[in-house]
Amino acid sequence: MTSEVSERIGTTGHLLSPTSSTLRPYSSGLVDESETIELSPSLREDLLNFDAWGGILAAYGRTMRVAVALTDPQGQILGECHNPQPVWKVIHEARCGFHSGCPFCITTKPCTAVSDALITGGAIMVHDQAGLTHVAVPLLLGKEHLGAIVAGQVFDQYPDALLLERVAKQFKVPPQELWNVARMQRPVGSAILKASGDLLCALGRAFLRERYGAILEAKLAQTNGRFRLLVDGVKDHALFTMDSSGLVTSWNDGAENMLGYPESEIMGRSFSCIFTQQDSQNGVPQRQLQMALEKGRTEDEGWRVRRDKNQFWASVNITALWENAHTMGSFAIIVQDKTEKNKIAIVLEEARQERVSLQQRLLSRVSHELRTPLTAIYLFTTNLLDGLFGVLTRPQYEHLTLALDNIGQLKSMVSDLLDVTRVQTYKLSVEPEHISPVRVITEVLGTCRRNAELKNVELRSDIALDLPFLWADPARVRQILTNLIDNGIKFTPKNGTVTIGSWPFSEDSGFLCLFVSDTGCGISPENLDVIFDRLMQVESNTGSSRSGLGLGLYIAKELVSRHDGRIWAESELGKGSTFYFTLPVFSLARLCAPVFAAPELTGGSVTLIAVDVLPVEEGLQGQILPEVRKVLESCIRPGQDVLLPLMKEAQPSEMFFILAWTDAGGCAVITTRISKSLQRFDNNSKLNPEISSTNMLVGPGDSREAQIREVTTLVDREVQKHILAKGKLK
Amino acid sequence: MSGKKILIVDDDEDLLRGLSPRLEANGYTVKYATDAVSAIAVAVREAPDLVILDLGLPAGDGFLVLERMRALANLVKTPVIVLSARDPADNEKRALDAGASIYLQKPADNHEFMAAVREALGEEVALSTFLRS
Repeated sequence: MTSEVSERIGTTGHLLSPTSSTLRPYSSGLVDESETIELSPSLREDLLNFDAWGGILAAYGRTMRVAVALTDPQGQILGECHNPQPVWKVIHEARCGFHSGCPFCITTKPCTAVSDALITGGAIMVHDQAGLTHVAVPLLLGKEHLGAIVAGQVFDQYPDALLLERVAKQFKVPPQELWNVARMQRPVGSAILKASGDLLCALGRAFLRERYGAILEAKLAQTNGRFRLLVDGVKDHALFTMDSSGLVTSWNDGAENMLGYPESEIMGRSFSCIFTQQDSQNGVPQRQLQMALEKGRTEDEGWRVRRDKNQFWASVNITALWENAHTMGSFAIIVQDKTEKNKIAIVLEEARQERVSLQQRLLSRVSHELRTPLTAIYLFTTNLLDGLFGVLTRPQYEHLTLALDNIGQLKSMVSDLLDVTRVQTYKLSVEPEHISPVRVITEVLGTCRRNAELKNVELRSDIALDLPFLWADPARVRQILTNLIDNGIKFTPKNGTVTIGSWPFSEDSGFLCLFVSDTGCGISPENLDVIFDRLMQVESNTGSSRSGLGLGLYIAKELVSRHDGRIWAESELGKGSTFYFTLPVFSLARLCAPVFAAPELTGGSVTLIAVDVLPVEEGLQGQILPEVRKVLESCIRPGQDVLLPLMKEAQPSEMFFILAWTDAGGCAVITTRISKSLQRFDNNSKLNPEISSTNMLVGPGDSREAQIREVTTLVDREVQKHILAKGKLK
Repeated sequence: MSGKKILIVDDDEDLLRGLSPRLEANGYTVKYATDAVSAIAVAVREAPDLVILDLGLPAGDGFLVLERMRALANLVKTPVIVLSARDPADNEKRALDAGASIYLQKPADNHEFMAAVREALGEEVALSTFLRS
């Protein structure tokens, strides 16, 4: 070691107060000063606990035959040990109330050895008034001044009798006693003391470091232990951690209780074992980890599986733990068993379903039971009206006609009841076709006209004749329109008007908006929201004694929504109401959508296959053609190829078109399959199917939309060409 | 007048009384049965050209009658119109699969009913019934 001890001895033998700038410590600090360590008061105390230091300091003192003390940064002794220097002891005992920055200095002036050592970060060697030498070694941790070790109190030569006598007087101790003890002391050379200062510096640094590490470790262990206790104490939650790949790295008692796996069995296994087989196969575990990674944490409720294969309803919370901003560390999972809570929900849901089902059964029964007597009344009335029992007088005819009208009303109510039960048992079916709205509206106006005339209400049609074709169930559209028109007539006073029209619906060009408006009593704003609810009928002031079951709008709403349309009303009290609804416009592009879902959509070959089945006996068309359609449906690749709908208004119904995203080779496979299946279906060969196909090349296109446009244009052209070629266009 | 024989199977006698005059006025002979067992017996004895069958019957149901008819040589090809108050959504397919030709829900419109009768009997269907709908 090449360092040197700073020695400052005043000319009078007094210690000089050194200035920091002139100090040159002979040993460097304990830790890298750039390190920032924050120490709590309790940790400081712990670091300088004399019980811990005592052993090492005593060993040093014994070996070096010097006194050793541990002080705080102000020089107050925290503990001392091995003091073979009775001189110091004699004087120290006499030195009551004397404060010094260094406990070892036999001096009347304040000593700054400890603070100097701390400021300079190195060992400071001092000679005191009595000619004794000691070394102060700083204890630093980072920039924290913890205290110092002071060692020494030795003569570096034989004691000076005169000096001792002066000191004895100064500190009021018997000079003889001081001399006696001092002369017994063996001098220690300053070189040795200097070297021992070096040693002490290194020793202090090393021990402080070690102690610091030990304390931190103990604290960490304590925290871990507490955390472990906390984690293990949680019995009704499963808490566990996993590494980044989903393998279990810790497992608490709660997890063992809930999931049944002992820690020894589950450690290192994938957590996917707690998922149902189906979830595992569908990649749910991986997806959840992925989501936790993306969002930080995920929450999920669902069925999980215990070790004994029993399932339970779990609430699962996965938190991603990041080692740093870029490195994924692990996952923490908390699972709660919510089966009991869920059971209550299940019971409530069952009760609700039972109530609904009871209601359904009642409605269905009412609808069914009313039909039998209604049939009899209808038959007897029509038998008389049709003159089966002779010619009727005019009043008889009139009365029976009125009876028939009433039967008609009853019939529609019974049908409404059935439709309501169908809505709730998901049986209300809608079978869309390519239909002309103008034709349907004309038909409905024809049947409603009589009703309007009876009430003296004008029924006006305000529809454009060039409305686009719809993709809707004609019977259901008739039902919606009839419901709305009858409703309008019902709530419109004499000489009022009910108008049916079309509205340019700008929100979505894929839908046509129709409306039915009346000049009736109107609906108040608070009722506008609820009129489409079941069994809802707003109190009316039309004076109408009968207002029906109030199911019409509810059914209309359900039917419209099954067409993916929307229905709403606008109204002003006293002025009238307007009911708007939208229905999808027929779109070849929409029907072709599955073709465009093909993953290899980069342009290529599209094939249009035409299947003509001719001739079919006129009377059998209605039965055979739907069957043929089913056969064709079974021949195409579901979700990839499209069997175009029958375009009744545009072509004879004996032609079927299939659109397939395939080339000539793939097309050959499909056509062979079709021809074989049709042969099997029709072994009398009555259908005489003709199958032809056209291949079209579609470019990759600028966008999906452009591609759809290109294909639909091509298909439209090919379909028309085919129909013309067969000369069957009506 | 065709003089064809139609068997109505329905436990509601009012329906029998209501339907018969119209069928007879159209030249058909009407027989009837009010339960499943007698329906088979009458059908075997009378060998009708057409059966109009209700589904809800005492001593069995319409499906039983259909099944039995299809097992008897002289009734296997007899057309059957099911005329029932039951929801077609639940029963139509089953009835057609069991051998019925047409399913009508009560109360059926007279035009519709007569067209169905003619169709089931394989008689010429008036153009007007097509145009109506």
